[in-house]
Amino acid sequence: MGLSLLLPAALAALAALALPLAIHLARRTTLREVDFAALRWLRPASHPQRRLRFERWPLLLLRLALLALLALWLAQPVWRATRERPVVAVMPGVHAATIARLELPGNADLRWLADGFPALESPMPASPQPITSLLRQLDAELAPATALTVLATAAFDGADAQRPQLSREVDWRVMDDPPPAHSPPAAAAAPVLVLQAGTDPGASAVLRAVARAWRADADTPRFDASHPPDPADHLLAWLDPAAPPTVVLDWVRAGGVLLLDASVAKPAADAWRPAWSDAEGRSLLELAALGRGRMARFSRPLHAERMPELFEADFPRALLAALQPAAPAPTRAVASQYRPRQVATTHIPPGRELRPWLGLLIALLFALERLVAARGWQRSAA
Amino acid sequence: MDRALLPPQLRSQLKGLRLRPRLAPGNRGVGLHPSRNRGAGLEFSQYRAYEPGDDLRQVDWKLYARSDRFFVREAERESPLTLWLLIDASASMRQADPARPDWQRLDAARVLAAAIAELALAQGDRFGLIELRETGPQHLPASTGVRQRDRLWLRLQALRAEGELPGDAQLEPIWGRVQRGDLAVILSDGFDPRLIALAERLAAAGRELIFLQLLTAAERDFPFHSGHRFRDPETGAEIRGDGRALRAGYLERFGQMLAALDARLDAAGIARARHVLDEPLLQPLRQLFGHAAWA
Repeated sequence: MGLSLLLPAALAALAALALPLAIHLARRTTLREVDFAALRWLRPASHPQRRLRFERWPLLLLRLALLALLALWLAQPVWRATRERPVVAVMPGVHAATIARLELPGNADLRWLADGFPALESPMPASPQPITSLLRQLDAELAPATALTVLATAAFDGADAQRPQLSREVDWRVMDDPPPAHSPPAAAAAPVLVLQAGTDPGASAVLRAVARAWRADADTPRFDASHPPDPADHLLAWLDPAAPPTVVLDWVRAGGVLLLDASVAKPAADAWRPAWSDAEGRSLLELAALGRGRMARFSRPLHAERMPELFEADFPRALLAALQPAAPAPTRAVASQYRPRQVATTHIPPGRELRPWLGLLIALLFALERLVAARGWQRSAA
Repeated sequence: MDRALLPPQLRSQLKGLRLRPRLAPGNRGVGLHPSRNRGAGLEFSQYRAYEPGDDLRQVDWKLYARSDRFFVREAERESPLTLWLLIDASASMRQADPARPDWQRLDAARVLAAAIAELALAQGDRFGLIELRETGPQHLPASTGVRQRDRLWLRLQALRAEGELPGDAQLEPIWGRVQRGDLAVILSDGFDPRLIALAERLAAAGRELIFLQLLTAAERDFPFHSGHRFRDPETGAEIRGDGRALRAGYLERFGQMLAALDARLDAAGIARARHVLDEPLLQPLRQLFGHAAWA
């Protein structure tokens, strides 16, 4: 679609074109004065010679061009690559045989609906892809007139919670190809609490109670450095005021979750942030990432007088929620229910910014204009 | 004198040119110019013995008292020709061409006047200057000699062109200066009809008149192409216009004026010549005083 303006109202600056026109007209009225003794044989032209005539055409044209370019510069021109070919975006999972059967526009630009929009000839990208986000990106990057066809599998992952709203009418075709393998995130099971007891039996008792609240069949084994527990379903509580040894920290780096008592000094970590606060906003639990795992540390001793929340019935569940990462939101959608809607949008399609080049051109023209003007001035002065 | 008024080249070209009044009757004397008085002049020449018939007034009575003889004072015979250079010093004489802004009409008039005076000096004729200035005519009494030439050059170089021509009443003293039979050369642009009328009257009253008209190249060619404000240096009147649009009409009227002027001067018996500032200075002199003019 070529050149377009981001700020067309700035073209009102073209009114400034009247300026050089007026200057060149006005300069004409200031006639050069000459002494002429034989004036009595001079008669003013009988019909007034009041034609509009501009002086010094080349300079005038230069100045007009300069001002027009300045107005254009203000209007923020962008250059958009012309892509009139209709685009067919194919979700990963649609088979090549299916596509071959379809009637698609002959010159269609076939692309995977995947990160970077690779051509269809390239191998099928891995799924799931953030389909809705990709749709929005594609819609924003395409010229407004380009037709978009999406070949969707019957169901797909990577959907938003609502139907996408795009700026164009999308030819949304649902293929009956089997959707890619789907593995819904398993509901996280409560972990087994591995307990390294410290000097305070009260705190150990609290945590054992918590572990029993999490899992009815729970026992709380001790940490065995020679057989470290599986980080996936174990949680290590460290109540020993002595700092956790390197092997524990390595276990955390491998993906484990370490819960520290308030009496334990904070191990070095990037940033401790409060993960759980009481009703008055005071921190109960702080979290820090370490490697792939995480460390949590109670801000206060596990005593009811210091931490009344221990009496709360949902203390174990709240503690677990604070320790475990939030489960991902479901992103699977049925394609036939997920047809994008067309909405009026104020979105401005991107393009190559032309301002720097225009600025260069303006500078060149200005230099040329000064040159021509100076030369004319010299000639009139000579 | 900061610079010689007469270029050496022009001075060398003046040889062979003569002032020859056309009105001079050929039956008087054998001199270069016919005489109109009887030898009584201003400059003492010699004594000679009284002869019967000599005017008693010419007898030197003091010498008679000393020598008891009658002697007659004889003066050198006065040169019969007196040349008057009348130079128009109105502001229009300041006009110069755009191509040569430092060469005014008045500059050409100065050089031409100096050249004509040179001719008179070579012939022993008396020459004087009358400047037609706005405040009234200023004159340099006619005389001859190298010192007179110096005086003339001094006056010429001090001359400035300003204002308009003097009124008719102020021109009256000219009649007393320019005597009957004198030769008067008027150097002017010829744009002021009063000066033409004066020349006609002088010519009709028995003066020998030469009208040397000085024009600029711009007045002859009108080389203006764009819009200009034309200003009369004397009256300050202005005409605005586009050079191309005005050109044809101007050239036609100007040509008519020149033709009419020529006819008037011819009818009045006034010799005339025309000099345009971009032409050689010798040309009008040759036309007026060369061999062709004697015929």
